[in-house]
Amino acid sequence: MKARLTPWKLGTRRLREGAVRIVIVGLFIMFVLVPLYWVIVTSIKPSKDYLTVPPVWFPAEPTLVHYTAALFSYRGLQGLINSLIISSAATLLSAVLGTMMAYSLARFRTGGQHLAFWVLSQRFLPPVAIVLPIFLLFRGWGLYDTHIGLILAYTFMTLPLSVWMMYAYFRQLPKSLEDAALVDGLSRWQAFRLVAVPLAAPGIAAAAVFIFISVWTEFFFALILTSRYAFTLPTIFRAFLGFQGAQYGEACALATTSLVPSIVLGMLVQRHLVRGLTLGALRG
Amino acid sequence: MVQLAPADILPPPGAGRSSRLVSAFADRYFKWLMIAPAAILILALSIYPLLFSLWVNFVNYDFQIPGHDFVGLQNFLQVIQDPLASSALVLTILLSLTVVAIEFVLGLALALAMVRTFRGRGIVMSLLVMPLFISPVIVGQSWALFLQRPFGPADYLLGQLVGHPVNISWVGEVPWVYIAIVIADVWQWTPFMFVILLAGLAAIPQHLYEAAELDGIGGLQTFVHITLPQLAPIITLALTFRLLDAVKLFDIIFMLTGGGPGTATYTASFYLYQIGFQQFHLSIATAGSWIFLILLSVVIMVLVRRLLRVEAA
Amino acid sequence: MANVKVSALHKHFGPVHAVRGIDLDIPDGEFTVLVGPSGCGKSTLLRTIAGLEEIDEGRIEIGGEIVNEMRPRDRDVAMVFQDYALYPHMTVFGNISLSLRARRMAKSEMEERVGRVADMLGIKSLLERYPRQLSGGQRQRVAIGRAIVRNPRVFLFDEPLSNLDAQLRDEMRGEIKRLHQEIATTMIYVTHDQVEAMTLADRIVLLRDGVIEQQGAPLDLFEQPTTLFVAGFLGSPRMNFVKGRLEGGPDGVAVKLNGGGPAWPLPRGRNPVLANGAEVIVGLRPEHVGRAGTGPAAQGFARVEAAIELVQPTGSRSYATFKLADQPVMAELQAHDISHAGERMCVDINLRRVSLFDPGTGKAL
Repeated sequence: MKARLTPWKLGTRRLREGAVRIVIVGLFIMFVLVPLYWVIVTSIKPSKDYLTVPPVWFPAEPTLVHYTAALFSYRGLQGLINSLIISSAATLLSAVLGTMMAYSLARFRTGGQHLAFWVLSQRFLPPVAIVLPIFLLFRGWGLYDTHIGLILAYTFMTLPLSVWMMYAYFRQLPKSLEDAALVDGLSRWQAFRLVAVPLAAPGIAAAAVFIFISVWTEFFFALILTSRYAFTLPTIFRAFLGFQGAQYGEACALATTSLVPSIVLGMLVQRHLVRGLTLGALRG
Repeated sequence: MVQLAPADILPPPGAGRSSRLVSAFADRYFKWLMIAPAAILILALSIYPLLFSLWVNFVNYDFQIPGHDFVGLQNFLQVIQDPLASSALVLTILLSLTVVAIEFVLGLALALAMVRTFRGRGIVMSLLVMPLFISPVIVGQSWALFLQRPFGPADYLLGQLVGHPVNISWVGEVPWVYIAIVIADVWQWTPFMFVILLAGLAAIPQHLYEAAELDGIGGLQTFVHITLPQLAPIITLALTFRLLDAVKLFDIIFMLTGGGPGTATYTASFYLYQIGFQQFHLSIATAGSWIFLILLSVVIMVLVRRLLRVEAA
Repeated sequence: MANVKVSALHKHFGPVHAVRGIDLDIPDGEFTVLVGPSGCGKSTLLRTIAGLEEIDEGRIEIGGEIVNEMRPRDRDVAMVFQDYALYPHMTVFGNISLSLRARRMAKSEMEERVGRVADMLGIKSLLERYPRQLSGGQRQRVAIGRAIVRNPRVFLFDEPLSNLDAQLRDEMRGEIKRLHQEIATTMIYVTHDQVEAMTLADRIVLLRDGVIEQQGAPLDLFEQPTTLFVAGFLGSPRMNFVKGRLEGGPDGVAVKLNGGGPAWPLPRGRNPVLANGAEVIVGLRPEHVGRAGTGPAAQGFARVEAAIELVQPTGSRSYATFKLADQPVMAELQAHDISHAGERMCVDINLRRVSLFDPGTGKAL
């Protein structure tokens, strides 16, 4: 005899499940938010609130003084500008080159599975394994500590992302539109530019945002390939290693400056998050 | 009715003869021209450096010792005989497996909790995925700040929780420093597992559950017999991606522990960074990174091939 | 304006040999329909003519010029696709004018030309709309407009009506036929629908498994199918096939159906050269099986008594199924000739229109 679910039993089960659900999600949200809140609140705390027990959760006199210090004394402003230039340029380059390659792979099966696999495998190369020779190469070519050098490195780094995201996108677009364009008298390039790219625009935009975020937040390449001139925002955090002085405010101000834009951008493409995280292997 | 007169016959597209030839050439080799720029960049920044470093493996390339003499397998021996290298490798493996396991369990729990729609789900989703968009450096730095002794809020909050003052040296003592790293990594990457597993859960056809309910199958059995098998390919995918990223662990170590106390939290990446860019034994670091790369590529081959199959299905 | 000539054409897709040696000569201005079941290679053949598929062997000529190596854009052919393939991000004007833009035509001339075509197709008021704002029939017209605006040498149609509902399909079919009468350009039209093939074509090319099974004027194919396959493919409802064997009689050759019944003497001139007693398949179109009149059966007709098992009225006609020598046969009757199943009646079979096939080779006798 099977156990039958009476409405009453069903009701309590639902309630219990609901409660468990709320506890799990609530605890994790706390876990996520508390450190973030701490960083943001510290960035507007006056210095005297740093070293207190119990900690100050709500500063009585919020201040923006750490932001000016971080931007000007710690060269945060230059890092910010560098980050903007380098992230934008690398995003543009990676999206363009990646879309072109993805189109070729998706439409013509260029190079079969091997080429696609080769591009994908680049995604999993540990940066430490290739950064050393790139470092030597860049020194030889005069690309060390230049914007262009870092832009190229980041374009390379994000190509698997743009290629694979766009590859998955192109494969779900109907081929007959491009056939029509070819018969209409367009060259292959025109069919790509005037028909395929406009149709893939939403996918390209989403891919571009993910590229931007991954460049914006990248640390290792910037650490090795730049020093005094083309450094990016994340590399400045080296200055706060160990928190020797009372620089909490500056560090947190800089952190806030860096994380707010990427979180905002991330929210914009949340719908495409699954595709972005799995390089298009999964559709969300 | 309008007739299109013969005079309306159009010239072929493409004006001059020479431009037509160029365009015909471009069309013929279109698929290769389209991949060329990206492929050249990858070749220049991946294949060329790898080949170059292949040479560096076997010579002296050290900012402290001039000249590039052939040294045979000396560089490799230096790495293999360095006890720090092997301990860094072991730590990398243990840490990656630990964080991925914890992230998987937490991510799955979150995904199961979030799979039904409810009011405010969109906002909750947005909050949950925020760590994915934050630079790992900032994650490391934030947790360093949060776990700071004695004025960081972590010890204080724990003290409130257990009822007596807590004084843990999170980044200064050995068992705690590992826990600190795990916490920071779990904080950043659990949302990754969560998002992917949630997508997988949402894709399981509802009628399977309805059928199970009609058959009187209980919640746990439904999970074991329906949810897990349906989710299996997605779980493989999520674990693969996460594992291959976890072994690169560097940024959080760099900001949170600096490899310390002593060399207790040297991971493979951090070790190679120290040898290459702090001590400038470039050829030794190169040999080390080749060993790391070879170990990894075996894993990549197996896992990514499997991924491609999932994608093709 | 050009003829199209295809010689010894072969095309493989990996292990699949899609087109196996097709020879086809389409004169200038002819409306040719390529028809056949799905997978017969008709679409592939069309796409090779357009230049969208490369060919493995053989030759394609358009207007006397070999175009094997020529890109689609240089072939000066236009194509209407099954899903219309309208560019969703362009207006109707943009869709129709793209081919003109590709040729760098001046804007004023372009507008004038698109205007004329839009007039011709009755879509002038839609020029600023996007494809998603159009109905199925309007999309179809835009797709045709896009093809005719540049006055190509050859029109290609790839199952253009298969996405439309039945009524619209009939209407558009008529329009395409009228279009051909007006512009008299060579048209090659692919369909799997034998009604479309019959109504539109100057010439039907019936393909099967990558080769041409039979080609010719629609009525020739219909009345003199050279194979069992052609006979079964064309005509709706389908031709009835019953098994039988040949018998020599006093007045020439007769057919005796398997399962009994009298032998039917074949009319003069139908003397298949086959051994006495050879097995044949007898093909009877439903319209050649009708209700018997009063009096004895006329010369060249065979009368049988039928127990009707199934009646399918269509309004103008009723189709009745009965067993002839234990094999089901459908007869086409006047609407009121029969009311319900179970009735018994006499039917006359027109022996002059009987087709005979060799069951081994499927060839007509």
